[in-house]
Amino acid sequence: MKILLTRPGLSFSFIIAISLIFGCVFAKPKMYSSFPVTEKSYNGSKKDSTSYTGQMARHVLHNSLKKLAGKGNGKPNSALKAKMLSYYSGKDAGREIIDPTSKGDFKIKQTMVDQISKGKNLKGKTYKGIINGFPGQMTGPEVFEFMIDKASSSNKGFDPLTGYNYPQLISKFMMGAVFYSQAVDNYLDEKMGADNKPNNKPYKKGAHYTGKEHSWDEAFGYFGAPAHAMALSAKQAYGIAKKKDMKVADANGDGMIDLYTEMTYAHAYYAADSDKAGTKYMHTIVGAFIKGRQLITEANGAALTDQQRAQLMGYVKTIKSNWAQVIAEAAFKYAGSCYKDLEKLRTIVESNGDASKAFAAYGKHWGELKGFLMALETSGRDLGEAGVRMNRLVGFGPVLLGGGQVTGIDSNGNLQTGGNRSMGEYQVHMIKLQKLLGDTFSLKARKNDVTSNMAGLLETLGSSLAAEND
Amino acid sequence: MQLSIGEWLPAFFNPQKRIFWGYMLSSIFIAFLWLRLVKKTNLISCVKQIFDPQVWISRSAMADYKVMMINTVLMVILSPRLLAKATVAYLVFDSMHLLFDGRPFLSTILPQWMIALSFTMFLFLLDDFARYWLHRWLHKVPILWSFHKVHHSATVLNPFTVFRTHPIEGVLFSIRSALVQGFTTAVFFFFFGDKVTLLMVLGASVFTFTFNFLGSNLRHSPVSIQYWRNLERIVMSPAQHQIHHSNAKEHIDKNFGVALSVWDWMFGTLSLSKADEKLRFGLSEEQSYKLHTLEGLYITPLKQATEIFLRFVSRIPHFQFFKNT
Ligand SMILES: [Zn+2]
Repeated sequence: MKILLTRPGLSFSFIIAISLIFGCVFAKPKMYSSFPVTEKSYNGSKKDSTSYTGQMARHVLHNSLKKLAGKGNGKPNSALKAKMLSYYSGKDAGREIIDPTSKGDFKIKQTMVDQISKGKNLKGKTYKGIINGFPGQMTGPEVFEFMIDKASSSNKGFDPLTGYNYPQLISKFMMGAVFYSQAVDNYLDEKMGADNKPNNKPYKKGAHYTGKEHSWDEAFGYFGAPAHAMALSAKQAYGIAKKKDMKVADANGDGMIDLYTEMTYAHAYYAADSDKAGTKYMHTIVGAFIKGRQLITEANGAALTDQQRAQLMGYVKTIKSNWAQVIAEAAFKYAGSCYKDLEKLRTIVESNGDASKAFAAYGKHWGELKGFLMALETSGRDLGEAGVRMNRLVGFGPVLLGGGQVTGIDSNGNLQTGGNRSMGEYQVHMIKLQKLLGDTFSLKARKNDVTSNMAGLLETLGSSLAAEND
Repeated sequence: MQLSIGEWLPAFFNPQKRIFWGYMLSSIFIAFLWLRLVKKTNLISCVKQIFDPQVWISRSAMADYKVMMINTVLMVILSPRLLAKATVAYLVFDSMHLLFDGRPFLSTILPQWMIALSFTMFLFLLDDFARYWLHRWLHKVPILWSFHKVHHSATVLNPFTVFRTHPIEGVLFSIRSALVQGFTTAVFFFFFGDKVTLLMVLGASVFTFTFNFLGSNLRHSPVSIQYWRNLERIVMSPAQHQIHHSNAKEHIDKNFGVALSVWDWMFGTLSLSKADEKLRFGLSEEQSYKLHTLEGLYITPLKQATEIFLRFVSRIPHFQFFKNT
């Protein structure tokens, strides 16, 4: 009896194993594209329901705005400010793509934002809550407008009096306050509710995609991955953002990079950066996006059942937790960079060398760190005590050579500095911040980990667990 | 019981542990050489002495095994609540930044091998020094002695007597290790960063390895190997540790050291070994004690410690109140 029972089991698992092996060899990695039209009310000619052009236009607006933020000449510059604002809050036609642009054989198809999607801006999608990590108790859009103003009158985006690097602060905070927040707090949150944007109705009247299909696509778009991300290694996906590896980037082989489907932006870029150290964030997130989109497509224009929605929410959970980890890994990495910068600065100052270059590098890394920490505040999920501690450890500005730090904003809108914190103390804050981020988000890549080798060293000493006498 | 076997068995295969099979073999070999070449014992009585059933399966030895197994389980349960060396290391590493306002980099001053050697040696010396003092307090402070008594209640010494330890003492040992290892690691890592490594043989510190390979197991054994007089002032011989376990009056509170006896020499507790000295192990007559029972090994120390504590508390005037009611 036993043998009779196990035999079919054995051959069954054998078949599964064989088909898995063949599956791995022959199946092409799935792309996030060409999902059929399932919306019943649509009777036009479109065959592909996938659509996230608005998101990709915003990625391009973000990239361009970051470039502009580094163009100041140190004097108030109203023209630059107006231009930056047109990328942030304007919807006007005729905005050029300032970044990414063609470089050598890395040819880019679009040169104007409108070629991807018309009438898009960033402000309308900015997180509206108060940002505790930034001085002045301002809302998300107010923080951006403040930073844009300061950036336009700074010298190449850097303010040596405060240590603020505006291109970095704007860019990293925007990755949170627009892309991350929109995806995890809107599209993957309330829009996944049973009655919100249901799958048996078009997203909006006349649309060729359903409510759920398009909500899901928009969230995917904000992540910033190329549609063929599953076929790319971490190094390749990373390289595309650096305009390298034209061959792997050009998925459709038309000799041009389509900024809609073939570019790596923002979070996908940082996920790939982590993944180069062995994590699998990019494939985990994009994989979950593809599976979720397949599930919605398979519902074939009918409302999702409770069971389908439960399964979909499983993918949502994966996406959200991994996405938070991607941001936290980046913050972790730059906390380590700041620590090292402080070490370098100390050496230079002690030998009476010129610290200006090292100080600028420190400001840049600090801007990235701060921006990412502010980004973590915008998920709609309160970080609680951990969030408070992170803000306290980093403060409102990098500790300056004289021991000062940004403390707030005065009534004229100027950043104030004060206090007297030693650089050694601030290094300790960076160590504590790494520990806090690592514990709170269960980080794995842990780039620039200040104490990793100390932990490793402790491990070689062995456990002192046993009760052994002498 | 299965859990405990699974937990302590790896100690036989772990070169960081004294009862690692390799050290057991080397100890037997050294004992054999000592008995044959120095003591001129014939082959048969060599084997008889080393594998004496009195040593390995006496009531005292059986109690050692029981304690070893029970403690392994207890320590597994206790360990998450104990002070971790990582906690100490982080605290010290952080404080160093404040002390030096930043992190001066010395890693280029010394070649890597010298950094590794200094680290390994410093760790060994500080550890041995800390062991000396904790051991001394375990004898001199009455409340601590009520726990350390368990170890000294062994009337026969064999290598497993090393595990005959009250769990409270085990906790103290683990705090000691955490402090020593955490402190040393943090200080060296602070100055020398990634260049700090432990010099190891078979995955154990080269000093731990040497100490154990050269017969540390014979400290708890009837084979009383002596060193030359001058060497016994620096390095503790097995015979010297056996003196520590002797209940003769003149041997009380002598030889607290572990690998090195130099601490005993420095702090006036050294006793050199004498050839063919007959020693009786265990507690002295006046120490009332239920030998080799679980009650004696686990409960009596707690009772005695509580009594000492209450007596101490009652001497504080403020607490007279409790005494009178
Ligand atoms: Zn003792």
